[in-house]
Amino acid sequence: MIKIDYQTQRLSLRFFLLMLVLFGFQVLFGLLIAVQHVDPRLLSGILNFNVLRAEHTNLGILWILSGFIGTILFVGPLLSRRELAAPGLIRFLFWALLAVTLWNIATQSLAARGVAGWWLGQPWLQEGLEYLEAGRAADIVIFVGFAILAWVVLRTFPARREWNEIHWGLAIGVSALTFVWLFGVFFVERLDLQEYFRWYVVHYWVEGVWEVIHISLVGFLLVLMFKADVKAVGYAVFWGVAMVWLSGLIGNAHHYFWIGTPEFWQFWGSLFSALEPLPLVFCFWHIYLDAHQDRRPLENAPAFYFILGSVVLEQVGAGILGFTMTFALTNVWSHGTWVTPSHAHLALFGTFGMLGIASAYYAIPLLRGVKDFDQRLGRIAFWLVFAGMLGIAFAFAIGGTIQVFLYRSMGLSWFGGQVFPAMQFYKVLVPVFGLVFLAGAGLLVYDLLTLGLRARGAPQPRKTFRPADPGRWRRTLHGTEAGLWLAGMWIFGAFITLGLLSFNLDAVALGDPTIPYILAGLGYPGLLLITLLFVWRFLASLEARPAPETAAPGMDQAIDQAARA
Amino acid sequence: MSCLNGTDCRETAKRRSALAVLALMLAIFLLLSAWSFLPSRNQVVPDDIQYGGASAVEGKRVFQAYNCMGCHTIVGNGAYFGPDLTRIHAEAGPAWLAAFLPSAGGWPTSAAVRVQLQNPAIREDAGTDDLQAYLQRYPGAAERLEQRAGQHSLMPNLPLNAHEVAALIAFLKYTSSMHTEGWPPKPHANRRVPASWAPKAPMAGNGAAAGQTAAAASSPAPSSAGAQPQDLVARGRQLVSDLGCVACHATDQKRTVGPGWGQLAGHEVQLADGTTVTADEAYLARSIRQPDAQIVAGYPPHVMPSYDALIDEADMKAIVAYLNSL
Repeated sequence: MIKIDYQTQRLSLRFFLLMLVLFGFQVLFGLLIAVQHVDPRLLSGILNFNVLRAEHTNLGILWILSGFIGTILFVGPLLSRRELAAPGLIRFLFWALLAVTLWNIATQSLAARGVAGWWLGQPWLQEGLEYLEAGRAADIVIFVGFAILAWVVLRTFPARREWNEIHWGLAIGVSALTFVWLFGVFFVERLDLQEYFRWYVVHYWVEGVWEVIHISLVGFLLVLMFKADVKAVGYAVFWGVAMVWLSGLIGNAHHYFWIGTPEFWQFWGSLFSALEPLPLVFCFWHIYLDAHQDRRPLENAPAFYFILGSVVLEQVGAGILGFTMTFALTNVWSHGTWVTPSHAHLALFGTFGMLGIASAYYAIPLLRGVKDFDQRLGRIAFWLVFAGMLGIAFAFAIGGTIQVFLYRSMGLSWFGGQVFPAMQFYKVLVPVFGLVFLAGAGLLVYDLLTLGLRARGAPQPRKTFRPADPGRWRRTLHGTEAGLWLAGMWIFGAFITLGLLSFNLDAVALGDPTIPYILAGLGYPGLLLITLLFVWRFLASLEARPAPETAAPGMDQAIDQAARA
Repeated sequence: MSCLNGTDCRETAKRRSALAVLALMLAIFLLLSAWSFLPSRNQVVPDDIQYGGASAVEGKRVFQAYNCMGCHTIVGNGAYFGPDLTRIHAEAGPAWLAAFLPSAGGWPTSAAVRVQLQNPAIREDAGTDDLQAYLQRYPGAAERLEQRAGQHSLMPNLPLNAHEVAALIAFLKYTSSMHTEGWPPKPHANRRVPASWAPKAPMAGNGAAAGQTAAAASSPAPSSAGAQPQDLVARGRQLVSDLGCVACHATDQKRTVGPGWGQLAGHEVQLADGTTVTADEAYLARSIRQPDAQIVAGYPPHVMPSYDALIDEADMKAIVAYLNSL
């Protein structure tokens, strides 16, 4: 395990801690709006759903960004072999981020009174656009913050000719992060044009920028954790980024099907966004290859758990669930229903949230100089948030399928008493799985905040010994088997896609939901279960690896063995 | 820069061609984008849509200021907590929206919609001032009255003033006339809704069926001269429910949209112009017939429509008797 060689790496700690606190609050807001879905009268008129949801989405974005910043600051000096440029600016960036978060939380509540703070034709306090709810004042601070981050990264990096693909990925990522934000800071009068530009920010951030930062950071973390070959990782980063943009640039068209833009987007969007999972399959495959690089047990189990979770949920949430609703013929049904948050929750928390948590698990023990830490809490927390989020996605997806049938196909009214009670069971399931998620989130926030600060008398992680034969479940995961798991996921994804497609059938339109219900009932639980089992299988395989220097013959060393110095 | 195993795999050339394809895609994307917003596409623009002295652009500002898409969806984007609003103006029409928006916590009764039809702006927009013709033209309004009139809604009351309501209706009129490539999909005309989810018949006493006018249909026969005071109060209670008054007024002293009625009759009322009046019977009747004549301090004007045409003298007596009993 590496030591902290550069003092400015320590600046990343505060961003990780801020990330954890914001994450905790975001989960609480999410739980609150999930309960409001069950009983819409809860807090109605006091804290309206739209205010709480704006907090939920905004905090989600802010803590993911905080995690990105922390990770970039942590790896920046390692990539550059020198201290970060302008540590004073980074300290300012932290306080600016904290201030803008508090300001934004406060101003969102003005929506209940219709106060947007119009001045010079712009809404300065809050602007009521999904994901871009922050007002202009906050937007400007956020822009300055992005510019500082980009400047620090570019100033820290070595001369251009020494850059490898990871440098390029991060440099392009932080610059584009700043640039794309500019498309969201104007009031647009036309609804179609406003939605057109709003997706510039939302889609190109996620699909064009965050994905690039994600690929670069995952790549470098794998280099750090598994001594993976920088060249091989660089190859993966280049082609990953290239595929993200080749598919995602025009893939943005899948947001332009129904917002009042012309029909030809349906062709371009269906075609190119169907290719969007390609880089994710590629990334997925590379984590399989890279994790097998050093063939040793995990030193820092929680960090790798969350990286794996990030890449797998990217595959399942963004790749497969995104694929199912990316065709004009399926999107016409899924659009604007609960089917979409199923994809959004898995993709956003899974891909980007888990990466931030993984980085925190990697960096915080190093930053606090902890040689041994009890990894059990982190592992339990991973399974809780992972299973909790899969459950939430399941509830959204099935509830959404019922909603599509009753609301769109049958044309029943929303609050008139039909759609709402029909979804009630799944509405209840969301906060139920939300509680599982909350338990995991609370656990990992507690674990990471106090890691290295807890009483030293805590029981040391024991070395448990396992029988020589790891059994079928724990045997080494080979490429063929990983490929079969992946194929299984896509087969369930195909069920889901066909299920959404089947809403076009006359039989369904005339009132028989059997086909879409059966396909969704097979597809969603199947996909989410196979995902859970695959991650379990992958980790079991890694944990069963013998540690070469200490293991007695025939004895596998336990994974909870502390990270070695 | 890297090629696995050091072999010559023409990696640099491959990367160059990938970047060239990317540039081509960027060009395609920008071309399609420019094409999308050409005037020749004839997509409606909010500048061209007016309603009640407000433009759709103003309405969009109101829509954003209240973060409507934080609960609803518009062109399918938003929060899935409430229904999609893209087509609501085309379905329910301006009179229903005008009746609903100021007091969103309660579903409008047909009387409340009828009152709105007296508003010249609404009459002009809807093309009729007759409730029957209106409901024929806007089947969404008929369905809403039939199934929910007079019940509580799940939406909180928002402090929308009269101009904001008009602006929102203008914006929703704009979105209704947008061409969205057939979204949301239209349900099949011959569909058979599974029995367990078929709409239930309206509950008795819950406002009026679409074809009837609430006030006339469900209120008792006109009272004879010798009606008991107790009957008069009961009738008044029925009337304020049928007319949809309770969507905005609480029967205690709480403020909902308008002032509460509890402890109102016979007490001093502070007016917006600084004067004070006693809430006698004449004041109560005037407040119902010409709501904007005297505005209570702290409340915006032009929110409550005039109920003059819907309430005859006998009904007014009953309502005042009911208010006196609170």
